[in-house]
Parts: sequence; structure tokens; C-alpha cells
Amino acid sequence: MIAALALPLALLAMQQGIPDRLAGRVSPEIAALVHELGTAAAARGLPIDPLIQKAIEGSAKGIPAERVAMALRVVATQLDTAAGALRDAGFAGDTVAIAAGAFALTAGLTGRDIAQLARSGAQPSEVIVGLRVAGTLVALGVPPAETVALVSATLQSGRPAGDLLALPGQVQAQMAKGIRPAQAAAGLARAAAAQGRRGPPPARPQPPPHPVPPPHP
Amino acid sequence: MTQRAFHPLVKLLLDGDITLADLPADLRAEGEEALRLLGAIDRTPVQFPGMTQRVMQAVAQRPSRERTLWHRIVEPREVRVRFRPWLLAPALAAAAAFVIWLGRPAPVATPTAVTVRFVLTAPDAREVTVAGTFNQWDSHATPLVRTGSTGVWTATITLPAGQHQYAFVVDGQRWVPDPAAPAVDDGFGRRNSVLTL
Repeated sequence: MIAALALPLALLAMQQGIPDRLAGRVSPEIAALVHELGTAAAARGLPIDPLIQKAIEGSAKGIPAERVAMALRVVATQLDTAAGALRDAGFAGDTVAIAAGAFALTAGLTGRDIAQLARSGAQPSEVIVGLRVAGTLVALGVPPAETVALVSATLQSGRPAGDLLALPGQVQAQMAKGIRPAQAAAGLARAAAAQGRRGPPPARPQPPPHPVPPPHP
Repeated sequence: MTQRAFHPLVKLLLDGDITLADLPADLRAEGEEALRLLGAIDRTPVQFPGMTQRVMQAVAQRPSRERTLWHRIVEPREVRVRFRPWLLAPALAAAAAFVIWLGRPAPVATPTAVTVRFVLTAPDAREVTVAGTFNQWDSHATPLVRTGSTGVWTATITLPAGQHQYAFVVDGQRWVPDPAAPAVDDGFGRRNSVLTL
């Protein structure tokens, strides 16, 4: 009974939040489209934040409304695709994971890649980090096949999430030495696979937070 | 043995709180009898010869707690074990669950916020800001500061852990991706830089 009431109430709250977040930021027609797409997405258990963000981004950049509308429909499709891929991998219902999967699609991965990463057997929170890192690696120029191999091997090695987050920086460091992104990722994947065969490393403290963008000369 | 209930005032007399003269006339006879009975009690201490010695001997012979426990451990005793086959399956399941619980991976500990430094080299810029998902793409919210005369603009801010997309805004109108960060298509024909924390 409570669950039956909770879902419509949650959807209602989400829908009411959309106009508040868009007020004064986007045109009325874009606000109406976000409301329409967001309502449909929420009803299917999809996150609505990527839609709101894309609408605000388009408006802030001065993009024409019809172009923003097209981008919003692409985002909605990506959310659906990501959710389907995660569902296929038995990893459903997590809106944060769906948003991470949608980002990975934006970066150039496919629904099949997302399902493969989700099947890595890692904990849900690690899969979310894995999807984000996978998208980031593809954005760096690592081909999807090498990206999936590297992130899957790292997830399966039992290494902490901090090691996953360090992968883009490690690839960038090798690229700075003239190594191609695919080669850098393949080398790291072999190291992660070897680590996985030896078992997870002993617990160690989290690395201190550091700025991701490297300093400019 | 017979019991006799004295008047409360007579009890006060026996306790020494009042004197016989304080009693009402009709209670004086009862008071005098009570005093007489009290005086007739033999108050000679009762003697139990050898009692203390016997008690101390008994205490000395009693084994200490540690000694009793040691005897329980080392002394042979008969133990009967009954095997109930129907209990084997749940016991094995509980043992397997315990082993799985022991071997479970440690919870993911990730920082909730990370301080990052944005840097852009733009010698000719008059103003540089950074806009992204972390500030609702507000091109005025997060200005960068020019450092020296080298044209390097920087801003250090703390962001929640997660994934952020952003771009630099030069002179209030030109959207520029971070040349040092990975970038993805923004859906509008431009590029957004990506920050994964």
C-alpha cells in the first residue's frame, strides 16, 4: 500500500521540481519539453537530472531552441539505452548508474559495452565509478574495446575505487610519453589482470584528493 | 512462645524515649510489666567454643574458583553427541554464509568532496570563468584569477565526488574546453571537458 502510494508521490515531486530548476534559465518551450520528457523518464525509473542539465547548458551557451530540443531527445534515448543495458546485466533500478551509463554512451561506448562492464561482478558503487571512468577513457582517445578490457579487469581485480579513478590519469601520463592511448590501456589492463590472478592487494589508505586537470606550463 | 502486643507508648518506654512517669495512668501497670520482662532477659553472651576455628578451616579447604575451572577443563568426563541429519543442511548454509561474509569486499570508501584546480592559459583574455554541471552552467559563478603576467588563469574549488562536465568561458562569450582534460560531444556541436572524481 505504502509502496503503491510512494511511487506516484515521488514522480509528482520530481515533476514539480522540474519547473523550479528551470525557472528563469530556459525558454518556456524548452521547459515544457523537459517536463514532458522528464515525466516520461521518471515513470520508467530513469533519472531526470541529465535532461535538466542539458536544457540549462544549451540555454547558457545560447544554443537555438530547436537544437536544444534535439539534444534533449538524444539524452532521453541514451538514458533508455543505458537502462536497458544495465537491466540486461541484471543491474536495474539505480538512477545514478543509468546516468553514468548514459555518459558512457555519450563518450562513445555502446549498450553492449555497458552491459559487459555491469557484469564484472563488482559492487554497484564500483560499477558506477567504472562506467564513469570508462567514458572518461574513451573521451581521452582509448578505443572502446581496450577501455572495456581495462575497466573490467580493474573491477574484477578487487582493487579499490580510487584505483579506478586513477586510470585516466595513468593513461594521460603514458600518452605524455608518446605512447598511444590503446597501448597504454592495454598495458594497464594486463597489469590489472595479473593483479586479479594474485588476488586483491592488502588494504591501504585512500590516496589524497588531487586536482585532476594537470597544471599548465 | 507467646507474643504480647504492647501499647505504642509502652514501646517508646522500652526504647528509652519516655519515662514511666510520662505514661498515662492507665498504661503505667503495662509499662511496669514490660520493664520487668525486659529486666528478666538473660543478656549473657552465648559462647560457641571452637566455632571460629571450624569456620576458618572450612574456608581454607574450599577450592578456589580458578582451581574449580581448571578441574572442569582437565578432568575427564563423559560427553554424549547426538547427530540430527536434518540440522546438517542449515548448519552448512550458516557456515557458508559466514565464510562469504568474512570474504566480502570492503565497502568502497570514496571521498565525498574533492578540491580541484582549473587552469587555462589565455594571454589575451580579459575575463575567464568556468561553467559546468557543478554550478548549473552559470558563466558568472566561478571566475578564474589571472596569475602574474603569463596569461595563466586559475581557480581552485571544491566539488562533490562524481562526474562533472564543464567548459571555460572566455570574455563572457567564447566557450572553450579544457585542453588538458578529456572531452566529449556536448550535443550542440561543441566539446565539454570531463572531470571524474
